[in-house]
Amino acid sequence: MRPFNPWFILEVISDLLPYLPVTIFMILGSVFFGSLLGFVLARAKVMGRRIPKLLADCYIATLRCTPPIVLLFIVYYGLPELLMSTIGVNINNVNKIIFVLVTFTLLFGATMSEVMRTAYESIDKGQQEAALSIGLSPYQAFYRIMLPQSVAVALPNFGNALINLMKDGSLAFTVGLIDMMGQGTLIISRNFGSYALETYIALAIIYWSLTILIEKSFGVLEMHLSKGKKSVAE
Amino acid sequence: MELNLDYLIKTFFLAITGIPTTLEITIVALLVATPISFFMAIYKIYNVKIIKQIITAYVSVIRGTPIVLQILIVYSLLPSLFNMAVKSMGWNWDVFSMNPIIYAYIVFSLNTIAGLSEVFRSALLTVNTGQLEAAHAIGMTTVQAYTRIVIPQALVVAMPNICNLTVNLIKGTSLAFMMTVKEITSIAKIEASFGYNYIESYIDIFLIYIIVCSITQLLFSLVEKHFRSYKSITKAS
Repeated sequence: MRPFNPWFILEVISDLLPYLPVTIFMILGSVFFGSLLGFVLARAKVMGRRIPKLLADCYIATLRCTPPIVLLFIVYYGLPELLMSTIGVNINNVNKIIFVLVTFTLLFGATMSEVMRTAYESIDKGQQEAALSIGLSPYQAFYRIMLPQSVAVALPNFGNALINLMKDGSLAFTVGLIDMMGQGTLIISRNFGSYALETYIALAIIYWSLTILIEKSFGVLEMHLSKGKKSVAE
Repeated sequence: MELNLDYLIKTFFLAITGIPTTLEITIVALLVATPISFFMAIYKIYNVKIIKQIITAYVSVIRGTPIVLQILIVYSLLPSLFNMAVKSMGWNWDVFSMNPIIYAYIVFSLNTIAGLSEVFRSALLTVNTGQLEAAHAIGMTTVQAYTRIVIPQALVVAMPNICNLTVNLIKGTSLAFMMTVKEITSIAKIEASFGYNYIESYIDIFLIYIIVCSITQLLFSLVEKHFRSYKSITKAS
């Protein structure tokens, strides 16, 4: 057996890091569209009209039970055919990141809607009533009173959701997207399958540092936001 | 879009035969992880110095890396390690003919230990220390106090999190196909590669996971209700 070569890890990390922007772009895109979807779903659940609520419930329950990789492949194989047969658009040649974005938007939307809903419901109803009673419109009451407080509550869960999204996003290489994982598998095949362990460890180190980075920055952000909260309460 | 319905139905029933393997991995991982992660949680709560740091680092690494990487690392490291160990012991036994499900057990146990230890820790912390002190005061040993007083209360709190963890674990086992384990995903994928019926196969996998996870959630909610009923009785009396 070939001896383990720790120096190769450092070499590979410098080969992998140029692909970090692809991963980050994928995460940011999914967070943006996923949050929009999550907002719509959370609104449907909070408003409590029967049919939208039922639809949102079904959607969230379904997506909660779907492994990311299965959804990724359903989108990857299904979306081109669906678009082809319904509106006649051929998307077989578009960049693979589109499929990855669609998949993780669908997944992140479901998670995000629960994060938003629980945060919104954790705020005392009296806050909204008080805002309305001093003459704010329902729209103002939401944006000026409810939303800032909900954001502070939602932050830790949002951080967790973000980390999970990043970890699930590593599956994008299975449909051929060249992000960090994709580049890692390319490096391994370029070395004819040797140095696989070193490459995987290098990837693990990168992902681990990213997780710690996200955790720490959310910790700082949370401390900052909850500081304001305390001073209000006092 | 044309779906091959015959194939869809045929593969559905074929892929269902992978459910036992999926559940086997899940249950083995949970069984292995439960005692270990319980003691990890206890060590962390009692602030045992060096051990606590080791556990924290372990949990951080496992939770900070994608499970697909953990699978790839274990699957590229362990077989050759085992082989070396076997060779050095002088046994005549072919490691590479071993059922790859062993590696699946190892990866998912390692993963579950990290998740479960955090679940247990947060659940144990919700139980008031007064409970433990009261149990000591009436003459129970620490072990008795834990098994009879603290753990039953902590379990009620931990149930929703354990449910989440189990569902995520079941979803995670869909990646075991990377270790050539024959579970739901790999059976349907292999079937699809004969005639390029990938959409149908993935729809089958999708449906099966929804069914399996929904049943799991239902079972957990029943167990939870059962535990809660004890709680309301003690409250009423």
